[in-house]
Amino acid sequence: MRAIRSMIDTGSADFRRHAAHNRELVARFRERQEAARHNRPQRDLDRLERQGKMRPRERIEKLLDPGTPFLELSSLAANMAYDGDAPSASSITGIGVVSGREVVIRADDPTVKGGAWYPLTTKKIVRALDIAMENRLPVVHLCDSAGGFLQLQSQVFPDKYMAGRIFRNQSLLSRQGVKQLALVFGHCTAGGAYIPGLSDYSVIVRGTGAVFLGGPPLVKAATGEEVTVEELGGADMHTSVSGTCDYPAASEDQAIHMGREIVAQWDRAPKWACQRETPEPPLYDPQEIYGIVPDDIKKQFDMREIIARIVDGSRFHEYQPAYGTTLICGYANIWGFKVGILANNGVLFNDSSLKGAHFIELCNQNNTPLVFLQNITGYMIGREYERRGITKDGAKMIMAQSCSRVPKFTVMCNGSFGAGNYGMCGRAFDSRFLFTWPNHQIGVMGGDQAANTLAEVKANQLRRDGADVDAAVLERVWEDTRAAYQEQLSAYYSTSEIWDDGIIDPLDTRNALGIAISASLNAPLGDPGYGVFRF
Amino acid sequence: MSPSLATSRAAPQPAIRRVLIANRGEIAVRIQRTLRQMGVETVAIFHRVDADAPHVTGADHAIALAGDTAVAAHLDGPQIIAAARATGADAIHPGYGFLSENAGFARQVAEAGLTFIGPDAQTIALMGDKISARQFAEAHGVPVAPSVMPTGDLDAFAAEAGRIGFPLLIKASAGGGGKGMSIVREAGGLREAARLAASEAQRYFGDGRVYAETYVERPRHIEVQVFGDGLGGAIHLFERECSVQRRFQKIIEEAPAARLPAALRAEICEAAVRLAAAARYRNAGTVEFILGADGRFFFLEMNTRLQVEHPVTEMITGLDLVRMQLEIAGGAPLPAQADIVARGHAIECRICAEAPDRGFLPATGAVRHLHAPHGPGIRFENALREGQKVTADFDPMLAKLVVDGGDRAAAIERTIAALRDLALLGVETNVDYLARVLAHPAFRAGDLHTAFVSEHAESLSPQPLADDALDRTLIAAVLGQRIFRALVADVPEPQASMGGWRN
Amino acid sequence: MKMKLGDDLHEVKIIARRPHLVVSIDGRHHTIDDPGRECDGPGTLVLDGAAVSFARVSSGGSVLLHLDGRAIAVEVIDPLDEAEGSGHGRDEILAPMPGAVVQVHKAAGAAVTRGEAVLTIESMKLQTTLVAPRAGTLLAVLKGAGDTFEKDEVVARLAPVEGDQ
Repeated sequence: MRAIRSMIDTGSADFRRHAAHNRELVARFRERQEAARHNRPQRDLDRLERQGKMRPRERIEKLLDPGTPFLELSSLAANMAYDGDAPSASSITGIGVVSGREVVIRADDPTVKGGAWYPLTTKKIVRALDIAMENRLPVVHLCDSAGGFLQLQSQVFPDKYMAGRIFRNQSLLSRQGVKQLALVFGHCTAGGAYIPGLSDYSVIVRGTGAVFLGGPPLVKAATGEEVTVEELGGADMHTSVSGTCDYPAASEDQAIHMGREIVAQWDRAPKWACQRETPEPPLYDPQEIYGIVPDDIKKQFDMREIIARIVDGSRFHEYQPAYGTTLICGYANIWGFKVGILANNGVLFNDSSLKGAHFIELCNQNNTPLVFLQNITGYMIGREYERRGITKDGAKMIMAQSCSRVPKFTVMCNGSFGAGNYGMCGRAFDSRFLFTWPNHQIGVMGGDQAANTLAEVKANQLRRDGADVDAAVLERVWEDTRAAYQEQLSAYYSTSEIWDDGIIDPLDTRNALGIAISASLNAPLGDPGYGVFRF
Repeated sequence: MSPSLATSRAAPQPAIRRVLIANRGEIAVRIQRTLRQMGVETVAIFHRVDADAPHVTGADHAIALAGDTAVAAHLDGPQIIAAARATGADAIHPGYGFLSENAGFARQVAEAGLTFIGPDAQTIALMGDKISARQFAEAHGVPVAPSVMPTGDLDAFAAEAGRIGFPLLIKASAGGGGKGMSIVREAGGLREAARLAASEAQRYFGDGRVYAETYVERPRHIEVQVFGDGLGGAIHLFERECSVQRRFQKIIEEAPAARLPAALRAEICEAAVRLAAAARYRNAGTVEFILGADGRFFFLEMNTRLQVEHPVTEMITGLDLVRMQLEIAGGAPLPAQADIVARGHAIECRICAEAPDRGFLPATGAVRHLHAPHGPGIRFENALREGQKVTADFDPMLAKLVVDGGDRAAAIERTIAALRDLALLGVETNVDYLARVLAHPAFRAGDLHTAFVSEHAESLSPQPLADDALDRTLIAAVLGQRIFRALVADVPEPQASMGGWRN
Repeated sequence: MKMKLGDDLHEVKIIARRPHLVVSIDGRHHTIDDPGRECDGPGTLVLDGAAVSFARVSSGGSVLLHLDGRAIAVEVIDPLDEAEGSGHGRDEILAPMPGAVVQVHKAAGAAVTRGEAVLTIESMKLQTTLVAPRAGTLLAVLKGAGDTFEKDEVVARLAPVEGDQ
């Protein structure tokens, strides 16, 4: 495969301006991420220290094989919810290597409200377990949670995708033969007790770890019985009497070492044989991505330049280079793994939709994972295109994409608007992983268009009510509408609501995809339903 | 080894064709080597714990001895003599230690019609008793330290000892190896020291008699290798210096002695020959002296056997002492003194299983890895094999490294290099310590005395590793750990290539 | 991995695996170009571009090395042992089954090492030796020869280690 020939002038004023803009965006992202990870009330940290507990990130670092990567997911979940009271949705999830095995790590964060589960906490945990199920990745739970956040229990407890889903997923994981280990550092109360209860292996720390359906106060209130934490659900009781937990540990350190040894016993399910080459770094410096992505979402840029800074050796085999040119399709390798890339270079027309659908089918036939690099304002609209059946052609692309058997990965590189989000494997379409760049915006339409539409509706309403609608009123309506809409378009809102698996620095795209693709190969491929239709 | 000068004059009577070696370990192997070269058959004796030891596997014949322990078996004279008869041996070579200086055994061997390769029983008895040996030496003009003979009356002994002045060395009459020995520096402590020495002597040797003699401060230990023909003829093979000792036992020996004036050397060697001749000494023996800083030397004792450190003499003289022993036992005449010439310098290091940093306490373990140094001028005398257990049952000496060089400085350098090359793992040894002694400026300067080890204890202690050496060591160690290798190797790609990346 | 050389504790950390293994020891980084063979005996590794020859023997919890012309013993710290600390909470010796004491090996006040026999009991025609779960001093031996006990009954107790709760 030939390397892409970059057309970028890294000395140009545009390049420098874009780079400054994007570096600023990334710096702000890093600040918020740092705060979500580490800013905690001192009293919570002091309490942890008094209990002789490690912080959850220390636990994770000790659990991981040294010198190996950890792909943290949704580090800014809940960043725009609960007045910022639940940084990272008081939970840490990610993919790492423990005793040489790729695992999902899911940790409660006792430095946030004692590790209580907010609504978005349960969503994040369910998502982590979905990832485990979809990719057949073993799970290590680091348990230390006070239980559901009672004030918001109606959003934590009752519905299909709320807390119960965690235990449902744990059960189904076990049926899939995917192992789970729970390291109980703190309390696992009420539903939380089922996390070790439904894990295949559990280690519990003496003195601090406890598992019970109802804690001592609840027991006293319910039956009048007075009982200590240790008697009710301590390490020795559960490992020598109830058999709920398997291994008592004298310290958190020991629990982690035992956990590593337990994971080392697990068999490694064979990965399916994706085509692999020896990895090579991109020919072009990934830092240049900052200068390529414009400082205005309305400005177009050539997605080949991004591909050249993500894939091995910047090598790219472009499929149908002269047809449907607003959708770039082609083969490349990421960290050695062969992938089929679909990247937007403009609005999706009939031909680009057909090309996309066809290429997706080729990748399914060829056992090649799909990578979608989204920068899409939608499918082309207008009489001419409707007459040509743009909806019919878009539907082919959505159908081909939805029914793919190969794993899919989506990166939100800039804009994701309208039905283009569907065709390009948006959140609803089960990408194994979906990552977002800080500059990204998402919505059914762009901010200006939405403001125009909504201001028009509002103005009509006012006129019907007989009000005097002058330009100043219209202007104010437009501005208010746009501001409210714009906030919800932002990557931070997206990631707060866990519409993605986290904002990433564009420079981290290659590694994030590498880990994601590697993880995805653990789940066996289904059979293709059809051959390749040439549309 | 070049053939002995005596070979050409050897008379084949009585012919020794098969020798039982009443020993084990390195000395048994070393004796076998010469016997094999001479075409003499060898018989090994062994206790069951030694069944696959090199001295057994390397022998022409081997016979098992009964006994609760290996040491007990090797001290069982009647059984050994019976073994010699059963295997048709003509002679018994006792080596060193065990029965080598047991007059009763030598007599029994002779009575059984076998040749004891060594002096006769009377000479062994004479020299085996420190007091009679000393009196004999004094009577034949060999200088002895002023002393007090033992009496049963401790008070009288103390009073008399006080008269010859301090410091005094109290020794067990029947002793050796430092047992029952102590230094007294003032009259006040004399009586108590004598009492303690007597009780210790009683405990170890079953003989509570002790005697006292002038203690020479910072003495050197000089010994002379002699051979006698048993008829009053005697020669010397020059001296050896064995001043570097720990716990009263030699660890480094060299020949010739460092910085010894030629006249004094001649005087000491002549005194030794005089003693051997007077005793009508037969075969190989060693006359030990202490030499004071003032050049006065005193008779210490005579060892009526082959010494552990005999190889340094072989190296400077080019003679094979075991061959000479056999030839003399076979009736050959002594070589002429004038034909014995010394060239170069040789050093022997005793490689011991011990902890130099913890008072030289014996160490135990197993020989898990052995790399013997080799090269010109290097002899590594040993009977070690990988897997061999090192227990407290035997002497802690595992092997001897013997090295020669053109002069003392060259011999020191070559010995240090050989010690660094010698790898013996599985039991703690003094190898590194010996290298530090040899590299010590005082050793290089030849400033030796028997308190060398204690005097330089601090500068001989191991230096902490420099960071780079420490890191090399830890890395070499950790790379042998299965758990670490797994930690390195078990990480899949591409994670292994990504390293500690965080997003 | 933590290792002890003499009285000093050192940690060897893996920093990178590719293209070559990089480790850090007390903060100093080293590249291992070739790790050599894992097995014991004579070996060579290439460290920071230079060959290092050595002999190595692993012996239980320690590694014996001959390197740079000297013999060095390195103690390998087992992370599980290390993390166990003082043996928090392991003060009691419980009867694993109902039975009777056959023999008392240690009396109250005696010092015991980990694994040292404290009592021999008999149950269902089977004799079992109950050992000290950790090193320490026996606070009490609660059963004498011939005494009977139930399953999980405390038969002996160790004096708590200072600093333990």
